[in-house]
Amino acid sequence: MKKSIRGSCLFLCFLAIVCATAIVAHAQAPAAAMSMAPSADQELKDAAAKAPAVADLAKGDPGGTSTGTISDVPAADSTKGVTVPDVANQVGQNKIAINFVWTLVTGFLVMFMQAGFAMVESGLTRVKNANHTYMMNFFVYTVGLFSYWLVGFAIQMGASAGNGNLGGLQSLTGEHTWTLFGKTWGYSGGSGMFLAGHTYDVGVMVIFLFEMVFMDTALTIVTGACAERWKFLAFAVSSSVMGALTYPLYGNWAWGGGWLAQLGANNQLGKGYCDFAGSGVVHAVGGITALACALIVGPRIGKFNRDGSSNPIIGHDVSAVLIGCFILAFGWFGFNPGSTLGASAAGNLRIGTIAVNTMLAGCTGTFGALLFMWMKTGKVDYSMSGNGLLAGLVAITAPSGFVSPTNACIIGVVAGVLVVLSCGFIEGVMKVDDPVGAISVHGTNGLWGVLSVGLFADGTSNYGGAWNGVTGNVTGLFYGDASQLAAQLVGISTLIGFVFTFSFLVNLVIEFFVGHRVSIETEVGGLDLPEMGQLGYPEFVFKAEPDYLAHANKEAVAAA
Amino acid sequence: MAANRSQGSYYTLGLVAFTVLCAGIYEWSGGMGKLLALVGAAGIVLSLFGMMRIKSLEGKVALRSSPFAMKMVGAACSLLGWVITLFGMHLTPSTGGRIALALVGIAVSLFGIIVVLPAAFNKNAIWKT
Repeated sequence: MKKSIRGSCLFLCFLAIVCATAIVAHAQAPAAAMSMAPSADQELKDAAAKAPAVADLAKGDPGGTSTGTISDVPAADSTKGVTVPDVANQVGQNKIAINFVWTLVTGFLVMFMQAGFAMVESGLTRVKNANHTYMMNFFVYTVGLFSYWLVGFAIQMGASAGNGNLGGLQSLTGEHTWTLFGKTWGYSGGSGMFLAGHTYDVGVMVIFLFEMVFMDTALTIVTGACAERWKFLAFAVSSSVMGALTYPLYGNWAWGGGWLAQLGANNQLGKGYCDFAGSGVVHAVGGITALACALIVGPRIGKFNRDGSSNPIIGHDVSAVLIGCFILAFGWFGFNPGSTLGASAAGNLRIGTIAVNTMLAGCTGTFGALLFMWMKTGKVDYSMSGNGLLAGLVAITAPSGFVSPTNACIIGVVAGVLVVLSCGFIEGVMKVDDPVGAISVHGTNGLWGVLSVGLFADGTSNYGGAWNGVTGNVTGLFYGDASQLAAQLVGISTLIGFVFTFSFLVNLVIEFFVGHRVSIETEVGGLDLPEMGQLGYPEFVFKAEPDYLAHANKEAVAAA
Repeated sequence: MAANRSQGSYYTLGLVAFTVLCAGIYEWSGGMGKLLALVGAAGIVLSLFGMMRIKSLEGKVALRSSPFAMKMVGAACSLLGWVITLFGMHLTPSTGGRIALALVGIAVSLFGIIVVLPAAFNKNAIWKT
């Protein structure tokens, strides 16, 4: 018994000594660290002393081994030289600089997609409307940018503070909210109009540029679906409204911290609505608005016969279409990888995977459409092949940051087949005339892209540990999280339920005041001269139109 | 009627008025804000009525009137589907139930868009004559 008590006492003494030693060591640790600090500063001074002298650099540095040294790190106090805080500040600024440059350059690539859209849309329309179609694609850039600068950006991103990739964006605060079912839901941003006041900020400028080119992509989708009969004035008014309201509203709900993004935090639906680069926000909004406008504008004269069957109206320039598709595919490398909004930190090294996913989905999308048409008609159809490439790219846009390359291939090939089926349905069943297939490419496949996040997201991506404020990785149904699929379905329902209805009603109002459609005379003769004042190809000799179109023109004039 | 100077003028007026309206909203709390917003809104209305005044000069278009009520029913169906989905999120906490209600909402919206609206627009379509 005594032995046992003595043993216990010895053990307790030993434990006390160990604890005391640990406490002393812990207490000394900061002192040791502090004693390290001067040493680190000393090392920096040594490095500064060893840095190449100006005279050495003046001899040239062909190998690049002497350029970019400690001499290039600015010192806060030149008398002390470069210190550890100076180095830490420089590292922080380098991270932000890398992310700024990445986001800007990818934004420039997305801007160049406007050229691709212009070529694809004009190439798929008749030569008599080439100038008009090109000009719509040209002017939509200006119209959209101006509306977005005035108010659109503030509605969409006016409360997107907290993005660490771009330095915090702390001046973008003030989401307008509703309280519903005991939860707070955001519906519109509140700061950033005119980029003035406290939003006159370097980070805000970067996010503005990037988001603006996305918005313009959505706007230019509509011009394709309404080509060859849309009055330029109506197009300009409609695009102004879309750039100022329609696009920014949905953009805020999905990307600006609005209620769709909050579905995870508020309703435990996965990580909230997830749309990495905009299958929904950009393409489905554009495609669905295109459907609303195309319904109102009506089909081109001669598109449908009395029995409801449709006639092909062939585009005038294969080379413009296919080169335009390549320009778009090139620009998509800005669209998807750029949507990380950074290349440094927060899981952003996934940009390589995102770029490869983008490539692969475009590839399998082309296969899907090309082979489907080949098997169905016996011919390789250039317009459907191009649309297959674009459909694959549209579909992978939302899931590109969350899925594996194999799943990207599956998403792409489904998109390629889907675009062919959708074009047939919209033309054959709905009797909606879409000269370039924009509704199917961007609308149908935009929705498919949103859905595919809820199915294929594999839970391996981690952008800073959380998405939409919910900790963890985005994971779809096939990888164990059915609630993510539910969030995606709410997004889809919002696109076809709210965005469509809003666009439809807005364009009905425009129809009442402005009128969407050009006169029969203008449409039959071509829009270039009456609307633009000049032919797209003034030296071309126009061929007479096919019999069914000429006949339909006469009938339309008589029936109107 | 082709594109003309009146169209350009009214569109320019609309753009300027929209800019003034936005400036008014931006400066809402200041003394000038509300005045600017009022002037901007008035300018937009003026621009729209100007466009409406010259609309008839366009001449005959290849469109016939279609039943307005049917268009509204289509739009209402589309919106109703969204409302069903929204309330579905709060009717049940189960993921399966929410997915089912979202699918019902999507189906109702699609019915409005795919069935009702094309029927409305194609009812008196010019290609049918």
